[in-house]
Amino acid sequence: MKLTRKSESAVTVEKKTLGISRRQFMKHAGIATGGIAAASLMGTGMMRRAEAADVPYDAPIEIKRTICSACAVGCGLYAEVQNGVWTGQEPAFDHPFNAGGHCAKGAALREHGHGEKRVKYPMKLVNGKWKRISWETAFNEVGDKMMQIREESGPDSVYFMGSAKFSNEGCYMYRKLAAMWGTNNVDHSARICHSTTVAGVANTWGYGAQTNSFNDIQNAHAIFFIGANPAEAHPVSMQHILLAKERNNAKIIVVDPRFTRTAAHADLHCDIRPGTDIPFIYGMLWHIFQNGWEDKTFIDQRVFGMDEIREEVSRWTPTEVENVTGVKEEIVYQAAKLMADNRPGTVVWCMGGTQHHVGNANTRAYCILQLALGNMGVSGGGTNIFRGHDNVQGATDLGLLFDNLPGYYGLTSAAWQHWTNVWELDMEWMKSRFDHGTYLGRTPMTTPGIPCSRWFDGVLEEKNKLAQKDNIRLAFFWGQSINTGVRSRDQRDALDKMETVVVVDPFPTIAAVLGNRKDGVYILPAATQFETQGSISNSGRSVQWREQVIQPLFESKTDLEIMYRLSQKLGFAEQYTKRLAIDKATDTLVIEDITREINRGMWTIGLTGQSPERIKQHTMNWGSFNNKTLLAEGGPCEGENYGLPWPCWGTPEQKHPGTQILYNTSKEVKDGGGNFRARYGVEYQGVNILAEGSFSKGSELQDGYPEFTDKMLKQLGWWDELTAEEKASAEGKNWKTDLSGGIVRVAVKHGCTPFGNAKARCIVWTFPDKLPIHREPLYTSRRDLVSKYPTYPDMQIHRLPTLYKSIQDKDVTGQFPLIATSGRLVEYEGGGEESRSNPWLAELQQEMFIEINPADAADRGIANGDTVWVHGPEGGKIKIQAMVTPRVNKGVTWMPYHFAGVMEGESLAPKYLKVLCLM
Amino acid sequence: MFSAVCFANGGAELAQHSDAQVWAQLQQGAQGYTTSKSEFHNQPINTYDLRVLEVRDLLAPALIAASFGMIIIFLLFIKVNGISKLHHGFSGKMVYRWSKFDVSIHWLGAIPCLLLILTGIGLLAGRFFIQPYIGEGAWGSLVYGAKQIHDVVAFPFMAGWLLMTVLWAKNQMPKMYDVKWFMVVGGYINFGPFKGKHPDAGFANAGEKLWFWAFAIFGLVISATGMILLFPNLFEPSRTISLLSLILHGVSAIIICAFSIVHIFMATAMSEGGMECMVSGYCDENWASQHHNLWFDEIKENGTLKYKE
Amino acid sequence: MATMKFLCDTKRCIECNGCVTACKNENASALEWGIQRRRVVTINDGKPGEASISVACMHCSDAPCMAVCPANCFYRTEDGIVLHNKSTCIGCGYCLYACPFGAPQFPKNGAFGARGTMDKCTFCAGGPEEDHSEAELKMYGANRIAEGKLPMCAELCSTKALLAGDAEVISAIYSERVAYRGAKTQLGSKPQYHF
Repeated sequence: MKLTRKSESAVTVEKKTLGISRRQFMKHAGIATGGIAAASLMGTGMMRRAEAADVPYDAPIEIKRTICSACAVGCGLYAEVQNGVWTGQEPAFDHPFNAGGHCAKGAALREHGHGEKRVKYPMKLVNGKWKRISWETAFNEVGDKMMQIREESGPDSVYFMGSAKFSNEGCYMYRKLAAMWGTNNVDHSARICHSTTVAGVANTWGYGAQTNSFNDIQNAHAIFFIGANPAEAHPVSMQHILLAKERNNAKIIVVDPRFTRTAAHADLHCDIRPGTDIPFIYGMLWHIFQNGWEDKTFIDQRVFGMDEIREEVSRWTPTEVENVTGVKEEIVYQAAKLMADNRPGTVVWCMGGTQHHVGNANTRAYCILQLALGNMGVSGGGTNIFRGHDNVQGATDLGLLFDNLPGYYGLTSAAWQHWTNVWELDMEWMKSRFDHGTYLGRTPMTTPGIPCSRWFDGVLEEKNKLAQKDNIRLAFFWGQSINTGVRSRDQRDALDKMETVVVVDPFPTIAAVLGNRKDGVYILPAATQFETQGSISNSGRSVQWREQVIQPLFESKTDLEIMYRLSQKLGFAEQYTKRLAIDKATDTLVIEDITREINRGMWTIGLTGQSPERIKQHTMNWGSFNNKTLLAEGGPCEGENYGLPWPCWGTPEQKHPGTQILYNTSKEVKDGGGNFRARYGVEYQGVNILAEGSFSKGSELQDGYPEFTDKMLKQLGWWDELTAEEKASAEGKNWKTDLSGGIVRVAVKHGCTPFGNAKARCIVWTFPDKLPIHREPLYTSRRDLVSKYPTYPDMQIHRLPTLYKSIQDKDVTGQFPLIATSGRLVEYEGGGEESRSNPWLAELQQEMFIEINPADAADRGIANGDTVWVHGPEGGKIKIQAMVTPRVNKGVTWMPYHFAGVMEGESLAPKYLKVLCLM
Repeated sequence: MFSAVCFANGGAELAQHSDAQVWAQLQQGAQGYTTSKSEFHNQPINTYDLRVLEVRDLLAPALIAASFGMIIIFLLFIKVNGISKLHHGFSGKMVYRWSKFDVSIHWLGAIPCLLLILTGIGLLAGRFFIQPYIGEGAWGSLVYGAKQIHDVVAFPFMAGWLLMTVLWAKNQMPKMYDVKWFMVVGGYINFGPFKGKHPDAGFANAGEKLWFWAFAIFGLVISATGMILLFPNLFEPSRTISLLSLILHGVSAIIICAFSIVHIFMATAMSEGGMECMVSGYCDENWASQHHNLWFDEIKENGTLKYKE
Repeated sequence: MATMKFLCDTKRCIECNGCVTACKNENASALEWGIQRRRVVTINDGKPGEASISVACMHCSDAPCMAVCPANCFYRTEDGIVLHNKSTCIGCGYCLYACPFGAPQFPKNGAFGARGTMDKCTFCAGGPEEDHSEAELKMYGANRIAEGKLPMCAELCSTKALLAGDAEVISAIYSERVAYRGAKTQLGSKPQYHF
């Protein structure tokens, strides 16, 4: 990356002297653009927008319990509704996660009730003009186009971009929609966020999720952030973090190239060179092993492959670590010592760790650090992997992914069989939905689709290089801001090349305006999550019920209704809703039935005990859960963990209290205890990989054991404890596929974890790198290290060719000497389409900017507030403001990723206004 | 290994300051980053000398004293002393003293000045002696009206001030005989040792010169500070400068106000025949020789003496 | 009577701006674009020693704004909250010069334009108009105090850094935290206007 100054004259930040109100602004804008104000007065037949001021103060107040839609902390709040208008927002002091606290986004949530910048009715781009259409027309036209493409190119030429903003039910039904359409080309933004975590962590000890909870951090004595900045990305989690600091004198260590707002509260800040996480962790482990600070008993009993790590670590001497990471030996030592001296300690990471070409190796390295310290499965320890969006955990769990069916079942025939069973469908019908050709040796039904991060390659890549029949010709952008992705030029070209673009969103997102096309774009107004109800899973796996606050504004429809209508149009509504009740009056799906169907199939992660009734009961009893332990101390949920964090074993009737801390052997499985999952067989190269002498409290199998199957129950002599009905279902099945839950029930009854009891593994023999290996970033600034730590060779991954070596081989450091990093601002979230549309937030951050070190700025003659061009080695460029700050080191820059609306210096505002004109 | 070194050096690389350090910095007026675009919002606590505010507390009583006090003193003075009569009565022969233009710029400054004094008294001290006796609505309108008038008439006042200062300064240069004028208090005292004294005076006497220069200097101060207070967006003053302006504006107002009252009294009540100068621009010949003998002698000598037709 | 105060615990403040938008949200009816009754300021931004503090009107016991106002539009409620009457305010700006915290703000009508009427934090206690009347809502925003609630900014603070309430109560909470941290800070080291 490089920075050049745009103009000779220093452009200073213009003082805001226009104190005009928003209403005035609209008026002025109307004058300037030919009558927005006038347009907004017309065609408001279905408008239900109202201002709080229009409602009398003493109108009766209805209180709704809802959950903030910004990040994955899952803050609760009380919404006050009067005459159908969202007039007030009150803190939920009794909410176990946030105790009433909110960041800028949560505190501004009520603006969702105004919907000033919302899409108001379905629209279609015709000849460069936006035309209002009816929902019926929209479904007919989009549906017909889909059928035509299916006919000509097969189902894989339709792309389903989904969202972590859906409720669990929405995520599940969206995956189901894509499945029944016959494609795996469905994905959402977890791909560019924690998908590497899920891959890395699940392959280490069984599940890819946050192991403990936000509240449990209160019990930590050391908190190690690497590539995480909760003060801006998960502000309310800081409540718990700062309590630990205040009460336990917990040490806070922040490993980040940037001096973040979190680092401002840290005891130690380690400013590593971007992309050197593994050397840093190995550097710490070097000191840990050197000084014997590792937890030897824990490693012997519960960890596999640590010796190979030791061997690799021995190569990472302090000198080499300092050379590669840029962090002084003493600092690395201090980080290791603080973690060793203050146990239990927790490790927190976010995008700073995952968004690398070695992302999953990074996450495995963090896990290995915790395994070495014996910090896993204990309160105050664990890997607290903070997820991003409010329901990204749920979206991932429910398989809104290109490589999975709900519950991480994968895409194997067995996985399809399981879900076909859950749906009570015929496997042959299911298969008939897919393209059964073979492309580059792969068959679409069992081959992961095209990822969210590279949908445009599915459009632009040569057909013969794709492992599917044809290019993508139509894509849904359903609640996804594509500006969070990379290669905007390619995204624009892909938008132009596709035949049809369907944006389903409450706001006119960048996908609707980035392209230069004149027709073939549909914008369908989706309701926000406050205009519907459903369950959502926070980062700590707790499931909460979000009550509907208001009716959908304008002509918006809920995600579920739009999906259902599409299935009707596409002719598979019968199969799609086979087990689901339909509300006859409105011809819509009964959402609780969807939750129950989820419970019916999600055995792998134990999302089976969280019936809608139980989730709602938790939500209606916030106050009975302790803010530190998350346990209900009394009331109807007594003894249960808030939100029944999965695994919540068995059926709802079994009343499992949920598992707040994963792999915790100090508790019985029935009370939320457990151990590492036996997911990779029982041995590797003849060596046992099951746990040795470690088991969860009360387990009748007092050693490691494999996952439970019908055969294992029979061997143990526990088969007859199943009811006749359960036996019928369990025969030939395992704990994951037995829909009766009998196998799970009996295993838990005997104190055993249904998924077995194995060691966590430090080596993953199915990955390109068996153990985490440092590889220099593709655009590394340290060319001297490339030969020693090279990246992977180019390869075909699933359906797309993927470049590594050919990028790294080109030395661009001369032209692009600065490293670009990115992150979040507290005011915005994700691509920002939703939060930037909120004037209360938009007022606080009005300009896209780049943080640049004073030394780099001085070299380029850039002053604070100057407008600069930022160029990337792939040809992209953006024109933004410079913020000169020591927050970033020399050679490193930082940019927020929430902004959109300007393409290479050219404002897209006129295009947005064209959309707005119709609104 | 390193522990001794590291932890002896103040432990880990401490990124934080203690509560006390933070508060100390804030109290010293530390500035920082904020998302707010409002004025001064980047500084949590402004540091300024609070005595400035204490000084201001004195301004309202001082202004009241300068205006009403001065009036009372003058009334008493006239009662005891009597006014300054023309010893030989009015001659009826009117001597040219001021041009029409001079008269008009005088009133250009004088009328706004009176309005500014009245509204200024209302703005500075009205809350003490008007507000308690009238309703909130009436007070609101009154003080709002006062501000509007004060803001508007400031401009003609400044024009008048500028013209008078520039055009009249040459006649206002201090001379040695002015000292003598002060020694006998201008000859206005009708009792004691000063009685009957008539000091020399040119076009302007020493008292008038003092008034002129006070007006010139404090008029400048009051105009400049007034502009700073009226157009903060243009001058972008710091808060300290604004507060100082506020004080200086008040102090100048007090001085100008006191002088104005003296000036008005002198012209109207005290000095018989004085007012006529600023009505027609002519003065009585006797008045001229009694009060401005040197000037009268001079114009007689150089032939610029002009009588009214 | 209680004496209402704000206190921001800088060790807890993370500059999340929750208080800022909480205020926007609760007082939306009275605020316009560009007016922020509360703001968070970060000193030593991006450097070791970085600390943030949320600032608005501190409802001083000896309020300089009250002393300098020509229109005398300020008044103090029996809870010690400093409020002002927008109908009386003449927009002279003196309170802004006098206020140590930069709390008063003025909507500006142009480069030279006279200031509009002053706006500042009301401690969510409305104004002199009748409680919850439309006039109060439009001119001053919410009146949570009349509803027995505390200001929205403090109630929604993400980390409980911003405290609002009776001076004795909030100083006790703060002292307890300081004691936990083992710091030697005394309450006396805070700005004089906090209490």
